[in-house]
Amino acid sequence: MNDAIIEVTGLRKRFGPTLALDGVTFTAPPGKVTGFIGPNGAGKSTTIRVILGLDAPDEGHARVGGHPYRDLRNPLRHVGALVDAAAVQPSRTARNHLLWLARSQTLEAGRVDAVLELVGLAAAARRKAGGFSLGMRQRLGIAAAMLGDPPVVILDEPFNGMDPEGIVWMRKLLRTLAAEGRALLVSSHLMSELQGIADHIVVIGRGKVLAEAGIDELLARAAGEQVLLQTPTPAEAYRVLHRAGGVTTIIDDGALSVSGLAARQVVAALGQSDVVFSEVTTQRPTLEDVYFQLTSGEAEFGTNTVQGAQR
Amino acid sequence: MIEALRAEWTKTRTTGGIAWLLTGAIAVTIAVSAGIAAATHVSPQGGQEDPTKIALTGVYLGQAVVAVFAVLTISEEYGTGMIRVSLAAMPRRLVLLAAKAATTTALALTAGILAVTGCLLVGRLMLPTAGLDPAHGYPLISIGHSPTLRAASGSVCYLVLIALLSLGVATALRDGAPSIAVVLGLLYLPPLLAQAFTDPLRRHIEQIAPMTAGLAIQATTDPHSQPIAPWAGLGVLTAWAAASLLIAALLLRLRDA
Repeated sequence: MNDAIIEVTGLRKRFGPTLALDGVTFTAPPGKVTGFIGPNGAGKSTTIRVILGLDAPDEGHARVGGHPYRDLRNPLRHVGALVDAAAVQPSRTARNHLLWLARSQTLEAGRVDAVLELVGLAAAARRKAGGFSLGMRQRLGIAAAMLGDPPVVILDEPFNGMDPEGIVWMRKLLRTLAAEGRALLVSSHLMSELQGIADHIVVIGRGKVLAEAGIDELLARAAGEQVLLQTPTPAEAYRVLHRAGGVTTIIDDGALSVSGLAARQVVAALGQSDVVFSEVTTQRPTLEDVYFQLTSGEAEFGTNTVQGAQR
Repeated sequence: MIEALRAEWTKTRTTGGIAWLLTGAIAVTIAVSAGIAAATHVSPQGGQEDPTKIALTGVYLGQAVVAVFAVLTISEEYGTGMIRVSLAAMPRRLVLLAAKAATTTALALTAGILAVTGCLLVGRLMLPTAGLDPAHGYPLISIGHSPTLRAASGSVCYLVLIALLSLGVATALRDGAPSIAVVLGLLYLPPLLAQAFTDPLRRHIEQIAPMTAGLAIQATTDPHSQPIAPWAGLGVLTAWAAASLLIAALLLRLRDA
């Protein structure tokens, strides 16, 4: 599927005094789940709206399968998107909501029933969408996105309001869709939601792409393993570990974190110098850590506590 | 365009409130006409009356319901955010607006024909008892009478144009309540305002205001009692509706969704 690609190049967009997008460039490749991560207000939704031709950028362009979205004929056959799960007419049934969308793309009504089945809403098809929980609306939104069996799927915060079973289901669905060769762009403000399903990560903060890389590369780029331990004599331990080649931080009175040394080396060095210690643990960086390192200070509405949290 | 029409028609067909609103518009129009007909009493030596115009009085109020219906066809999409789904499915925005205008026209036309037919029947049946009968020189209301046919078909066109004017206003303003306020203000305020002035200013206001100009089409006996000639008046309303849709199209095209 060479249609299965999203290319975003140099997007800039200003809303009044705020620069919402400041040169956003990335690619969502085929056959992969691209995680689009950033704090609230970072520019994720604006970028997605520009890709879908809903907002016009001041500069730059977005292409889907090589074409600007507005040039696509029957666009839902090329790109399926979930932008806002709440965006349904409350008095319309789930099936009728999908039916008018199907009509707009010259799709058979059979597709409506197929996607209702896919998202597990077949039993609720004739219920009014206004009575749906947020989780059910998310499923309806996914059904709408999959209506045209598109090679590109864009989901803005699809995990919002989903119950644990819904989350498990969604993760599996995203993996399946990517395995079928589609390009998926999935935004989230929580890195943990995408750990284990995203292959490719685009981190955005204050309208700029802070990192774009494969997930392995991104983890490798993060600070390495850290060893945490407790000691009644932190100053003594600090000196010993420093001599042994570790980069040591005193977290508080009795706790230290060491990087550059394996746990085994830390234990050996402290043992030889008769420093008393306990509770040695090793901490590996998670995607969450990478995300915090990249976005600390970039959160538009966040506090700076992330920056101060030393490990 | 066919796809957009089918999509818009499916939307309209599956929105619970639309059928009720249109039924309401028809009922209100006929009920007001019936009420007026029942309240009409003509003394034998009174001036010349216009039975057709009396029978079509319900349009004055029915148009408000038609306006609300037309506003809701787009403002509900903005209210729920569904407009983004619509525009993602139909990125050619003018096509979307044209499809909405077409379905709105079809429904307002249907409602208008039913309402106006009902008004004429009510007039034909009730007005003779009010003294407007052939014995007093008033023939029964019939569309075989060409001024009556003009007043009736013109009233249907009037309702369609009011719907299009409302659709344009609501597309431009995006929010339902202000749109309804603007449309109703545009319709009902100028005639009230005109009362504060004397001719020729009063006459000029009535010539350019959408309702007073548009409803001149209803006069069948004494066209000179109207501020403007019948078809010219409907032309003024057409200009209002066209301007409203033009501004709506420009804004829809230029603005972010």
